Amino acid sequence: MIISRDSSQDLNPSTNTAYSDIARVSHPQGEGRGKGHIEHLLHTNPHLWRGCNLAGQGSHGRSTGFPQLDAILPGQGWPTKGLMEIVSPYWGMGELQLLIPLMRSIVELGQWILWISPPYLLYAPALVQAGINTEQVLVVRLDTSCKDALWSMEKALQTETCGLVLAWQNWLPSKVLRRLQLAADTGNTLGVIFKHHDSKHSPSPIRLQIKDSPHATGFNEAEITLVKARGNFRPLSTQLNLYQHFQQPA
Amino acid sequence: MEDPDSLNQLSLPALPPATSARIIPLPKSALATASVGTRLPAVAPGSKLAAITALNKLRPTLWYALQFPQLADCPQPRQQKILNELAALALAVSATVSFHPLALVCEIRSSLNYFGGIDAIHDKLKQSITLHLVESGLPDSFLYAASPTVTGSLLLARSGHNAVVYRKDNLRSALGQLPTSVLELNKEQNRRLYNMGVRHLRDIWRLPGDGLRKRFGSEFINLLHKAVGTAPEPTLNYLPPPAFVTCYDLPFEIENLDRLLPVTDEMLAQLCDFLRRRDLSTSQLLFSLLHEKRASTPVSIGLRQPSRSREHLLMLLETHFTHLSIPAPVTAVRLEVKKFDACMSHSDALLLADNSISSSSSSSSSSSSSSSSSSSSSSSSSSCNNYNDSHLNQFIEQLQARLGEHHVKRITSVAEHCPEYACEHLDYTEATTPGNHRTSRNHPVALNPRPLWLLVDPLQLIVKAGKLYHRKPVTIVHGPERIETHWWSGHDVRRDYYIARESTGSRLWIYREKTGARNWYLHGFFA
Repeated sequence: MIISRDSSQDLNPSTNTAYSDIARVSHPQGEGRGKGHIEHLLHTNPHLWRGCNLAGQGSHGRSTGFPQLDAILPGQGWPTKGLMEIVSPYWGMGELQLLIPLMRSIVELGQWILWISPPYLLYAPALVQAGINTEQVLVVRLDTSCKDALWSMEKALQTETCGLVLAWQNWLPSKVLRRLQLAADTGNTLGVIFKHHDSKHSPSPIRLQIKDSPHATGFNEAEITLVKARGNFRPLSTQLNLYQHFQQPA
Repeated sequence: MEDPDSLNQLSLPALPPATSARIIPLPKSALATASVGTRLPAVAPGSKLAAITALNKLRPTLWYALQFPQLADCPQPRQQKILNELAALALAVSATVSFHPLALVCEIRSSLNYFGGIDAIHDKLKQSITLHLVESGLPDSFLYAASPTVTGSLLLARSGHNAVVYRKDNLRSALGQLPTSVLELNKEQNRRLYNMGVRHLRDIWRLPGDGLRKRFGSEFINLLHKAVGTAPEPTLNYLPPPAFVTCYDLPFEIENLDRLLPVTDEMLAQLCDFLRRRDLSTSQLLFSLLHEKRASTPVSIGLRQPSRSREHLLMLLETHFTHLSIPAPVTAVRLEVKKFDACMSHSDALLLADNSISSSSSSSSSSSSSSSSSSSSSSSSSSCNNYNDSHLNQFIEQLQARLGEHHVKRITSVAEHCPEYACEHLDYTEATTPGNHRTSRNHPVALNPRPLWLLVDPLQLIVKAGKLYHRKPVTIVHGPERIETHWWSGHDVRRDYYIARESTGSRLWIYREKTGARNWYLHGFFA
């Protein structure tokens, strides 16, 4: 059985749990002849999602460039608009490598990438090596106040010329996050917030955590956990080879 | 100047012997025609020249020529500059001031009654012009004359007679007394006229027009026709530089700047109307908020790209207001334009509808096949670049208004081997100025991996019991890569770079100095 709901209804917590129970119980049934057609209809509409585990279904997202990551993300890729949180306990764990293929496609579309007060100096040769045209990169300096940085982020998210807005803010109240989410929806822009600690009750629709891979000893491996995604009920994780464009260290 | 018809002529004094001239009132008939001239005559369509002459007959004009022979020694740009300044002075007596070689001509018939005669006008002009000439370090004398035609006035002034001819009927005889040298012909033409026994203009009047045209060219004949008023005389008129200052006194004091926005919106609407009428745009504005008994608060708005969009200017002003604190309530607002620019409007694409179709088709096809969407998106990316530009500029101006000029940066890579110098952070305005197109694509970068984050000041790592520590132990994964010598910058660089991994999972870019204390440093993160 398939349960479909409008995404606007998911604010009601009581129906949410009720539907999910039904979904889990009655999942194995519902094989039919017109299934292919229905599946296609369900997968192409981002406003429609099923109460069961949505990972890897639908195709309304933008490909991440990592097949394993696509498989666990709803819509098989990054959302085209909205807010996303990436939790990285330390900087330098490959959190930007995750977004490099996305940045490349955004620059190719003629849109701009805005970096709002990054923690260190953004190094242009590395961007060039990754195939990103630095002419479409704008940086707001680190020493801007938090208020100004958030203001810039909101404005940038509202502007359609910015395809991607990256910000480094460790702790933001959920009120601010909702406001940014609204701004991102109006401007059709994807905003990414990098932080050190995971906050359980953040309203952002997607939260990813990057961890050092426990069993792989290779330099390139990292473990990505999808802590929260609209439509997923349990965290999913995968191993990624993040530093794809590096030549294999000897 | 001696003239047979002295009733209608007035000889003004030549400048060096400065005596006041006698004013002879206009003859009655001329006054009568002047009053008639306010109505336009019915003109038969088709004959343009006839219309001009008919107009001239009904509405007599008087052109006051000022000749500055001393300007001949100045270089051309300075000449033009001084003439411009003098023309601005001449605007005090006339609405139409035109430029001629070494001379200015103003129309004074329309202001004759207002100033009470040509003598008053001359005195008024002479005072300001001599003052200005002295200030520019030139001899303060000038030649002048007035007559019903521009060329006639110029010829009279050039001869140095300082004469006034009021009526066109007398112009021919007055000009007739001038020597042929005032025509400023070339050497050959002068010689030919001399050989023909022509010494004065009156000798030319007697010669047949056809023969003269054949010998001296139509330009010569045109000049003569213009001088006596039988040919139209187009002139290059002086246009004063645009200026826009407006001030609004508030009916009551305002402390909340948001309340000021409707007023400023109205002022900006006025400004934009002004700019549209003159086909201009602006790139620098100054709002002054005036307070009682205090210095005013200036709000300067600079634009990266000249604009005359009211919404954009208002939005920038609003952004400025959000972090502006005023020392006292505002009593009045003043708006001044500091810099005018030519209006450069972008033309829209001819095939705009087609473009939107192709972009929508590319988005729909992206789900089905990736290969076709990539080709169509690359073709549409160039067209949407153009569209993005104006929006982006507005957005960046807004950012700069709020954060400050130097807080929005662009980055470029530089062809340098030394990591510190291989990346440049430029101000947005600085990076986009022409001649500074150091685009990243033109510069090759190092082949070895470079980190996305670079530390401005490398951080020294600790070595404890033969092991490297940052916060946690660090193990070297790859390396070394030697980067050496930058002695020409006064900063010697001799380092071995390694890619390392901290036990927390951070990928680090570290180096060891080859000389000196041979310390280890952290220089970047492979984020």
